[in-house]
Amino acid sequence: MTNLAEDEDLLRESLEGGRSEPTPDQTAVLPEATTAVAVRAAAPASSAPSYPLQFTGSGSEYFRIWIANLFLTVVTLGIYSAWAKVRKTRYFWQNTRLDGHVFDYHGNPVAVLRGRVLAVVLFAAYTWTLEFSQAAGLVTIGLLCLIGPWLFWKAQQFKSRNTSHRGLRFDFAGDCKDAYAALLPPLLIWFSGSVAGLLLADEPWITVIVVLATFLLFPWMHHRLKRYQHGRVCYGDQRAGFVAATEEFYWTYTKGLGVVVGMFILVFVVVSVLAVFARLHPQLPREFTWIVGLVVGGMLYLGLWPYFAARLQRVVWDNTQLGALHFRTTLAATTLFGLVAACVFWTVLTLGLYWPFAAIRLARYRVQCMHIVTGLPLDRIAYSLAPTATPAAGDSAAELFGLDVGL
Amino acid sequence: MSAKLPSPTRAEASRANSFSATLFDGTNATAHSVRVDLHGLELTVWSTDAASAQAPLRRGLVTDVLLSEPFAHAPRLLVWPDGATLEVTEAEAFTRAVGTAGMPSALVARLQGRWPFLVVALAMLLGLLGFAYMRGVPAAARWAAFALPASVEQRVGAEVLALLDGREMEASRVPADRLADIAAQFARAAAQAAPQVAYRLEFRRAVRGPGINAFALPGGTIVLLDGLVERTDSAQIIGVLGHELGHVFHKHGMRNVLQAAGIGALAGLVWGDFAGVATNVPLALGVLQYSRDFEREADDFAIAFLHANGLSVQPLIAFFGMVAELERKLGFSIPGFLSTHPSTPDRIERLKQVTD
Repeated sequence: MTNLAEDEDLLRESLEGGRSEPTPDQTAVLPEATTAVAVRAAAPASSAPSYPLQFTGSGSEYFRIWIANLFLTVVTLGIYSAWAKVRKTRYFWQNTRLDGHVFDYHGNPVAVLRGRVLAVVLFAAYTWTLEFSQAAGLVTIGLLCLIGPWLFWKAQQFKSRNTSHRGLRFDFAGDCKDAYAALLPPLLIWFSGSVAGLLLADEPWITVIVVLATFLLFPWMHHRLKRYQHGRVCYGDQRAGFVAATEEFYWTYTKGLGVVVGMFILVFVVVSVLAVFARLHPQLPREFTWIVGLVVGGMLYLGLWPYFAARLQRVVWDNTQLGALHFRTTLAATTLFGLVAACVFWTVLTLGLYWPFAAIRLARYRVQCMHIVTGLPLDRIAYSLAPTATPAAGDSAAELFGLDVGL
Repeated sequence: MSAKLPSPTRAEASRANSFSATLFDGTNATAHSVRVDLHGLELTVWSTDAASAQAPLRRGLVTDVLLSEPFAHAPRLLVWPDGATLEVTEAEAFTRAVGTAGMPSALVARLQGRWPFLVVALAMLLGLLGFAYMRGVPAAARWAAFALPASVEQRVGAEVLALLDGREMEASRVPADRLADIAAQFARAAAQAAPQVAYRLEFRRAVRGPGINAFALPGGTIVLLDGLVERTDSAQIIGVLGHELGHVFHKHGMRNVLQAAGIGALAGLVWGDFAGVATNVPLALGVLQYSRDFEREADDFAIAFLHANGLSVQPLIAFFGMVAELERKLGFSIPGFLSTHPSTPDRIERLKQVTD
């Protein structure tokens, strides 16, 4: 939940081009930061001790913070939102415990504010330039491709370097060249559909092929992004490792697609039955069929998100390691679906006032589903960590823009 | 750490508030079990290990460290500029002691702990959001609609028309000379009543349903559907087109689009991280709500338009009456994009009043 802030949505839109399907991996509540590893150690025996992550946040307490944040944000015309984000992130981190010790967040609100202004400018540019002229739109897309990897790298650096556990800051390895090598190919593929649609408007079949290819490559792109994001986090002298194979992402997405097709068939059947029912009862209003169909479809859509969130969290975290530490998540799609359904129901019913309680419930479930499995005592691992190479105050370049991208 | 501080003895420290805590040095993850003594605003950190308890591990003022906000179930974190972190487990007692010593929590932390503040903040928030929703967004959308270059508006209108042409509408089947007649008649009336309003008249046929309607798109395009041409006379058509010209004059189409965007932004502010689920509800309500105000404005324009041409408003009233009658017979209101004319009895009533 800590990753779901507004500016991240904005930036994601500006980088990806439109509010697409929810990127379920934002669900990774734990910081990419808790991960790390260089050694691809063998999976620990099932008998190895498992350390659960605990979450101590409470809905009623977060409600107060949320109201104060929202009030000050509105009164300051949005400027306070950066401070609000930092306070909120601190609340979630300081209430997350591993082995009795909490995490902490050190983001500088002024840097976060700068990042938000940049994200809004980029988003506005992307949205509006296409309205004015095709050339201006292409220039914006080119600009986004040009600075996108750098921005994402800096955002990950900002997030890692401002998160700490046991007094040690996390870090994000890799340089500028590495960021472009890892991220430019998926970014170019992502925008290829828009560019083809703009330049080859006379031959729509080319655009269709390009979009179809992008769709087929999506799991590959997502895998590459996660490998970049999870594989470069450092803690002490340890560097994270991300060992998932591309096939695992393809398999997860294929199963997800199967669920989507199944849902479509279900909605189709429900609507057909309703149409027959409506014909037999002509006194029903004509909108009856599509309203009920819409409600059923909406509920299934709500179910799809927890399904993907649960599946992807498992694929991502079960394949992330930090030295002898392995991550395991027991997140279940059905439980998450029940939780999300309850949260949406109460949030809508209370016109949004339930939202902070919902955020806490979701965060608690996701955090407490995470375990760290290791044959070594956590204390000893902590003791063996060499001093961190990162200065505690953080790199000034990373402080320049407090971008936090929740992909 | 400061040289100005007198060196406390263990005896002095024992009179101070004492708390158990964990110290991390900022370069190593090893946890040091410590006791923290708070004497006034002065902190002294002692190792619990008897052998190394002779000298304090750290000394300094609370004001020199970064003190985390007090949370009910989290430890208080004290971070020194050099990165050393103190995790105070007895957070509640520590918070009380620090407060007594003269260093209260941050203003916002104290405020959010008080119910009166929360109630006032919530009330003001609802008031502000309500005001923005009812007045702020419409005013901003109005300003933006008239400030934006005409090309943007035309582009939006062209997109909507292309979308409707693909799914909802096809070419008109009314004889060309009748259409030319309507166009010429309306052009004369428009030149007489509102020569400054640029419009473009398009004729289409609804793919489904009777399509007894006309509507205005952003950018000045007015679409007249065959159903209306076939079931009404020229006087009624001119009245309806006058109403649509009112929408064009007030840039209602563009304002609707901008208002929807503005309400989306407003909803995003409140439920920023509630991805797109709840935000669509007020969005839909907002678009419907605004159209009623716009219809009234367009009705007023139509009345002025007809008067300027020396024409009667009666045919327009008759048209609305006919649509209302038709809807009553069919037992439903015309859904979707055609519903911009809620032919409610009170609207007819209002038109009658104005003309009397």
